[in-house]
Amino acid sequence: MAWTNSLSFMPEPTPVLILISVLLVVSIPLLLHLIIYSTTSDTLPTILLIGPSGAGKTALVTLLERGRPTATRTSQTPHTVEVSLPVKTPVASSRFRSPNDPTWEVTKKLLIQDTPGHGKLRHYAMDSISKPQSLQGIIFVVDAADLSSEAREGARQAAEYLHDVLLQLQKRATNSKSSRAPKEMPVLIAANKLDLFTALPAPLVKSTLESEITKLRKSLSAGLLDSGVGAKDLDVTEEHDWLGEVGDGPFEFSQLQEFNVQVKILAGNVTGVDGSDVKQWWNWIGSIL
Amino acid sequence: MLDGFEILTTSGVVLWSKSYAPLSSGLINGFIRDVFIEEKVLPSATTADDTSASQHSAYKREKYTLRWASVKDLGLIFVAVYQSLLHLSWVDKLLDNIRVLFVDLYGDQVRKPHSTVVECNFDDYFDQQVQELESSAEASQRTPQITRNDENLKTTPDEESEEPPPPIPGLLSGRKSPNSAAPSTDATPTSTPDTSRPSTPLNGHLLSAKATRGGTSRRARKAASGKPTAVDGLKEKSVGKAKGKQLRRWDADGMADEDEDVPLDYSATSDADSRPVSSAGVEPVDMAASGMRTSKGQYILKDLDDEVHSILQSAKQKNQRTETSKPTGVVGSSLGAISGLFRNVIGGKVLTKQDLEKPMKGMEDLLLKKNVAREAAVRLCEGVERELIGKKTGSFESIDTLLRTSLSSSLTKLLTPTTSLSLLTSITNITTTQQRPYTISIVGVNGVGKSTSLSKLAFFLLQNNLSLLIAACDTFRSGAVEQLRVHARNLKDLSDREHLGRVELYEKGYGKDAAHIARDAVAYAKDHNFDVVLIDTAGRRHNDARLMSSLEKFAELARPDKILMVGEALVGTDSVMQARAFNAAFGAKRGLDGFIISKCDTVGEMVGVLVSMVHATGIPVVFLGVGQHYGDLRTVNVGNVVGLLMS
Repeated sequence: MAWTNSLSFMPEPTPVLILISVLLVVSIPLLLHLIIYSTTSDTLPTILLIGPSGAGKTALVTLLERGRPTATRTSQTPHTVEVSLPVKTPVASSRFRSPNDPTWEVTKKLLIQDTPGHGKLRHYAMDSISKPQSLQGIIFVVDAADLSSEAREGARQAAEYLHDVLLQLQKRATNSKSSRAPKEMPVLIAANKLDLFTALPAPLVKSTLESEITKLRKSLSAGLLDSGVGAKDLDVTEEHDWLGEVGDGPFEFSQLQEFNVQVKILAGNVTGVDGSDVKQWWNWIGSIL
Repeated sequence: MLDGFEILTTSGVVLWSKSYAPLSSGLINGFIRDVFIEEKVLPSATTADDTSASQHSAYKREKYTLRWASVKDLGLIFVAVYQSLLHLSWVDKLLDNIRVLFVDLYGDQVRKPHSTVVECNFDDYFDQQVQELESSAEASQRTPQITRNDENLKTTPDEESEEPPPPIPGLLSGRKSPNSAAPSTDATPTSTPDTSRPSTPLNGHLLSAKATRGGTSRRARKAASGKPTAVDGLKEKSVGKAKGKQLRRWDADGMADEDEDVPLDYSATSDADSRPVSSAGVEPVDMAASGMRTSKGQYILKDLDDEVHSILQSAKQKNQRTETSKPTGVVGSSLGAISGLFRNVIGGKVLTKQDLEKPMKGMEDLLLKKNVAREAAVRLCEGVERELIGKKTGSFESIDTLLRTSLSSSLTKLLTPTTSLSLLTSITNITTTQQRPYTISIVGVNGVGKSTSLSKLAFFLLQNNLSLLIAACDTFRSGAVEQLRVHARNLKDLSDREHLGRVELYEKGYGKDAAHIARDAVAYAKDHNFDVVLIDTAGRRHNDARLMSSLEKFAELARPDKILMVGEALVGTDSVMQARAFNAAFGAKRGLDGFIISKCDTVGEMVGVLVSMVHATGIPVVFLGVGQHYGDLRTVNVGNVVGLLMS
């Protein structure tokens, strides 16, 4: 018979063979599971930490990681750090849980990605924003004491960076092909260094940044077009990117809700004589997880 | 004397630091900015080989000199700070040793992902190193008698022979005492590795040899230096010698033999005793020296010495082994070649200079083809090479891809400006806060398109409803003023028709001093409420010292807010010289603020001039001229330029 011939290459079912095949059947799924899950251990929720140089990003990371800030210097490379949420921090995903639930005692882990803030190294942060894998939120750290200076240089630089970041987020919505709104992206503007005498409180930080962005987007729209230098780019006349609501009105962070970007401003301080105060920021992190 | 020492990661976390004098944090931040990020200071000495005791490049800031060493794959930077007035020759050695020690002791912790925490009690090791190197450096300048003794001490870590560091006199007694004081431990020979020797002598012999070991080796050295000494007994001496020889090995047996009785309660005492030594010290070196006199202090110091030396020694040996192990017969080399090939494909290969040589050449050729000046191309490639040597390729990453990403990221870094280039923002800033016109002057070599670029810039500013004064300060070439007059007339017509800003030409004819005309133009503009003064200057060859020298006076009198240099995209290698000469021409206090690269439409993708000029000076490109019309002025899109260069 034909089918017995076709099966004749099959080996005899000896006990050893059976044992081997059983082992294979059992071990392959296990191995696959191990491999897949060991490579995707990065799927913890990630929060991106950005802001101008010297705002206190790396100090904040070390504070969140070990509970006390260490000395830091200007960063040159991004660095991802695993931190665990303090116990009892309200977490959005478990808001329907009973307060007596024992899972409250289990610490929730997340990754915080620190990026360098120096002007030449911001492409790291921009890359992370444009292709977010498990990005849950963005913390924009700003030096609240620097904003209040007379020359407004600090405020302008911070606003410029923030403008670029928000524009990038806005482009996610405007450039996407599908009609579905992009994933919600909460942004926290962390007004750092509130322990300093000259620091602005959170509402003032908000208004300062908003007014600077208003000025900035105006002058940017009046500015020259960006260009590559190749011949193919010459005849392309692209529209200027305009952040927020089109029109002459001032820019407000609330305008970005249209693009599913929720901006919130909270104050705190990483270092200080009376210790650090980052409870509000922790709560914000909990609220987006 | 050192002022401070810091170990930090490239991600910005200070892992360990020690400062002997208060240092402002701006010092090291500025150092990182200038050296690593903006690369203003290029390391002159190539510290290619990671573990060699080569000269580390220095960086001077304020009154301090900073020397640094780095471990690339771990992202560690070691910085030593001292006052420039002092000449510390041992800092290089210290950096090398500390690097080896730190990586050996805490490398695993640094490698751990998703963490910045490195638990380190590095103070003792550091103090030991400083003390040792400092004393050896001091001693080498003193009497020759001590010099001979201490020269040994200094050179031990890098000596090729496997000799243990000769004990310094204070330690000698300490080394002898534990052996004689605790004979009971030595009397159990089963636990010592000595029993493995084929012809083991009697226990008593061994013991006595051990007890006098320090002395014997001393004597042996004396004998070697030519002085005959009394010998106790031939056998004993030979045993002693053999013992001494064996002890000199710093691997398993030598160490095991020595430390056998030391760790008895070392772990308990070390913490308790080393703490006050390190923490109490205003002058830690002195404290350590005095600590040596107490009997317990001896133990600890000696042990630390041993540990440090063994680490350094093993690093040295490893280094030598890798050097010597290369030519190990046909089989070994072919195996190595195969695994190397395999690694090329699969990744995880540690890059060496040889690996990079060929692809580097390709990169350089690519850059040269894109009209990057040779000097800039070579230096860029060197920078990339320096960054890559000693790095491991990622999984399934070939050298070429690694090289490409590395080069494109360093090009991006180079071309990205440090500060915002928004001209309008700075103009409004000046005109509103200081109530004076914003002054822009344009310089450049003959025929690169200064007047054309200026009129394009004027058109752009007019579109933003600013009032302009164009000052014709080219009083040299005939027809220059007329040319500007035509531009001014055209622009005036345009602005009248479109109801934009206003424009006026300030001219004083030919033959006058350009600097004075510029000053007068600024004063005129202030009186008549102009927002911006655009100053056109005469073209000058950058190697003509007479013409270039007048620029300094010009900058002083006109006080321009921005000096922009026009360079053409067509120029090749000369661009570097041009940019440098013009940047230096305005005196010590003033430099260029930006470049306008004209005629970009004529070169296609050969945009290398941007790279050459920025690389030579570190000054950003502000505008590109891309056509014949007034509107053909563009800002730089760094991503596009890098894409063109890498294509």
